[in-house]
Formats: sequence, C-alpha cells, structure tokens
Amino acid sequence: MKDGELRPVFVRIDAENRRQRIMFLVGLVVAVAIVWWSVEGTNFSLRAALAGIPNIVRFLWEDLLPPRLSAAGRYLMPAIETLYMSYVAAVVAAFVSIGFGILGASNLVRNPLVRYGSRAVVSFLRAVPDVVWGVLLVGAVGIGPVAGVISLTLGAIGMLGKNFADAFEDIDPGQVEAVRATGASAVQVFVQGVWPQFVPAFISWSFYRFDLNIRSAAIVGVVGGGGIGFALITNIRLFQYQSASMGILFIFGMIIVIEFLTARARDAILGRA
Amino acid sequence: MTGTVSTPSAGDGRHAAVLRGYARRGPKLVTYGILIVIIVLLGYSLAQLGLDFQRMVRGVSQITAFVDRAFPPDMETLPRLWSPAIATVQIALLGTLLGIALSLVLGALAAANLTPHWSVGFLLKTFFALTRAIPALIWALLFIAAVGLGALPGILALGVNSIGMLGKIFAEAFEEVDPGVIEAIRAAGGNPVQVVLQGVIPQAMPTLVSWSIFRLDINIRYSSILGIVGAGGIGWELQRASRMGDYPSAITVTLVIFVTVYLIELITDQLRRRVQ
Repeated sequence: MKDGELRPVFVRIDAENRRQRIMFLVGLVVAVAIVWWSVEGTNFSLRAALAGIPNIVRFLWEDLLPPRLSAAGRYLMPAIETLYMSYVAAVVAAFVSIGFGILGASNLVRNPLVRYGSRAVVSFLRAVPDVVWGVLLVGAVGIGPVAGVISLTLGAIGMLGKNFADAFEDIDPGQVEAVRATGASAVQVFVQGVWPQFVPAFISWSFYRFDLNIRSAAIVGVVGGGGIGFALITNIRLFQYQSASMGILFIFGMIIVIEFLTARARDAILGRA
Repeated sequence: MTGTVSTPSAGDGRHAAVLRGYARRGPKLVTYGILIVIIVLLGYSLAQLGLDFQRMVRGVSQITAFVDRAFPPDMETLPRLWSPAIATVQIALLGTLLGIALSLVLGALAAANLTPHWSVGFLLKTFFALTRAIPALIWALLFIAAVGLGALPGILALGVNSIGMLGKIFAEAFEEVDPGVIEAIRAAGGNPVQVVLQGVIPQAMPTLVSWSIFRLDINIRYSSILGIVGAGGIGWELQRASRMGDYPSAITVTLVIFVTVYLIELITDQLRRRVQ
C-alpha cells in the first residue's frame, strides 16, 4: 500500500535524475568539442606550452629579475603624465556622460528614438576596447598623450554613459513628483528633484572610472598613447628587461596607491554630500 | 507661487521628501568649492599634457581628416578577418580554461581553511594581486619575449592574468564552504585532494561557474587586442592596417571586434542566466 503510493514519486525522481545526467553529458560533450576546436584552431600544443616553461622561468629569473631600482626615476615623469591623462579623461567623460545618461534614461526622455540612439552610441563605445581607440587615434593625431587622453575618454563615456542612464532610471519618482507638484519648471524639477538623487551615483562611478583609467592608461600607452605604458614598451623593445620589470612594479604600486586614495576621497565626499 | 519650491508647508509628506533631498545636497558653498577645484585641476592637467587651445584645434582637424580618409570602411577586407576573429575567440576560451584550472589549484592552496600553511596562503594572495594589477597586454609582451610570437603567449597571458581575479574569488568561495562537510570527508579517511574534489568544489560550484563565465567575457575583450603586440588574434590586423595608413580597413577591423565582443557578451549573458 505504502509502496504503491511512493512508486510514482520514485519514478519521477528517477526521470529527473536521468534528465539531469543527460543534460550534464550533453554539456560536457559540447564543452570538450569547443575546447578541441580551439586547440586545433590555435595550434595549441600542451607539449609546446610545457616545453616553454623552462624558457619562461629562465626569462623571469635571468632577464626580468632583479628589477633595476635605479630605473625608477625614469618612470616618475611618465607616471605623472599617466595621472594627468587619467584625470582629464575622467572629468571630461563624467560631464559628457551626464548628457548621454539623461538622454538614455526612460523616465527623463519619452522619445524612444533618442533613448535608444544614446544608448547605442554608448554601447558601441563600451564594446570596443580602449586600446583599439588608442591604435586608431595614434593613427589620427600621432603618438603621444593626446591620443591617449581621447581614447581613455571614449572608453570612459562607454562605461559612465550606461551607468549614469541606469542611475537616473533608479531615482525615486516620488521626490520628482513632489517638486513638480509645486509648479516648478522642467529645469527646476531636474535641478531640485532629479539631480540631488543622482549625485551619489555620479560621484562614486566617476571616482571608480578614474581608477580604471589609470589601469587603462598603462596599456593605451603601450600602443603609443603616452604615459608610463609608453615608457614601459620602450624598455621592452630595447630588451632592457630589468628596467621593464621596474616599470611593471611601478605600475603595480601606482595602481594600488591610487585605488586606496580614490576610495578615501570618494568616501569623504559622499559622507558630506 | 510659480516656480518656487522654497516654502513647503509643514506636515506634507511629499514636501518632507523634498526637504530631505535638500538636506542630502549639503552646504552649497562646499559643492561650488569642489567644482572649482575640479576645473582648476583640469586646466592644470591639460596644460601639463601640452593640450592648449591650439593643440585642440589641430587635434580636431586631424581627427576630421582621419575620418575623411577612413570612411567608408573597406568591406573587401571583411572575408580576410573571419579566421583572425575565430582565433580571437579560441584564444580567449583556452586562456580562460587555463586560468580556471590554475585558479582551482592555487585558490585551494590559498584558502585559509585548506592551505597547507598560512604563509603559503599569504604568498599566493599577494601573487594574485600582482597578476591582477599587471594588464594582460603586458603579460603578453613578457610571454612573447619568453616563448616567441603567436597564439601561445596570448593564451598564457590570459591564463596568468585570469588567476589574479579567479584565484582570489575561488579562494574566497572555498573559505565560505560548510566546514562540517570537510570534517565529514576527513573523518571518513579522505585525503586532501578528495576533500577538495568532493567536499569543497561541489559546494562552491555556483560561484565558480558564474565568475568563470564573467571572466570569459573579459578575456574576449583582451584577446581582441593582444594581437596588437603579436600575441595572436585580430588585434594584429588592426595594428597592421593602422601602421600602413590603411584606415578604411582599420575601421572594418574595429567593427569586427565590436561584433565579436558583443556576440560573445550576448552568449555569456544567456549562459549566466541559465546557470542561476
């Protein structure tokens, strides 16, 4: 009797288990096929990779290490240039992105054409890596920090434009309504109802982006965008690997210090705002 | 009372909300002060970069000239870009896989509850921070110096760069697993490898999978640029077109990179949603 009641349950669990096992096997086969395809396509051979290990270790120990400490001074000015580049790109992108953010927010702009247009531009800027902008701009304006600044700015708009639009969409409509109910004009509604709610997101995303700009600037420099990345690639191209490893340490230290400082500054400002 | 919001009547809940909005804005003087500091710093930085008004005007005309030369994009290059685009995806897949494999081992050795010794955990976590802070492109340059040009240095660069993120995340996920399960397997006579494979990894699985997919997304972006320095994939086509002044082709390559990154993002988005 009891057995008879339970049997359907067992059958169901059994079927569920079988289904899961089949799904797992299918997933595994697909995964193995994709990996196989990639290995074939890239001519990857594990043996070559393993055979390369002694080379890599020798390169690390003999060529890269120890970092040439006396080369640190050489990186100081380029590092400061990277700071300027990151700052200019962050500030310009933050202000431009306010515009894209407003145009892309569904609660601020009724016209869907404008909204999707704004979001599409921003998505495009985001999907193309900063370094690609760097290569194109070096072609356009020549090697140097100008190319770097513009490509960082484009990349930053790609990120901030999206997050600002989302932040505008997340604001509390009640507060906006309250200002509108007093008979305020559209501009006043924005300045007094929308903007104050947007400020915290504005500040924290902008600071975060400044932080990312430093990392990005280090690579954009490699393709000719100026700053510390350019100094690093110059050393690598000249086979001065011990100076290069000093440069890498310098970038590492700079990223950590800036990350710490921007976090402190952001918290200080947000605590006040 | 047109256009004035400064005299809200007391007791109205909505007006109280407005007042809270005001209060959150803080003293106006400070806001203006911060704005002035930001703008002064901006001017100073621009001056230091040599970006004065003349340079800006010249830059604008340079960019206009570039756009004039670069458009329309050269669609005849398109068929030639198919195989480098595929290679870009393959390099990202293998690099991610390598990163996952290394991160599982190193993450387990770094996790506080599994590490053979606390100093090993500390050293590994420092190593993660270092691999994270050094960009993939620079890893690629180093691996090219060590093993030569091609896809291999690209895969190795992505693998090592991925450890920085995945190793840290995996170690943290391992630290959060239920210690009871570990105890049970140990009590049943399981060795450390069995503890990890049968007790720890199954519990951490959701975190491992979703972060690995996220990392694949990041690696696709990186692998599209690694070719710029010669580490395989489509980046090389971009660099070549740009160096030769063939800007219409460079724009085509940029569009292909965009489509590749975007498509993979759509797929990984779907995967992540399916997993959750």
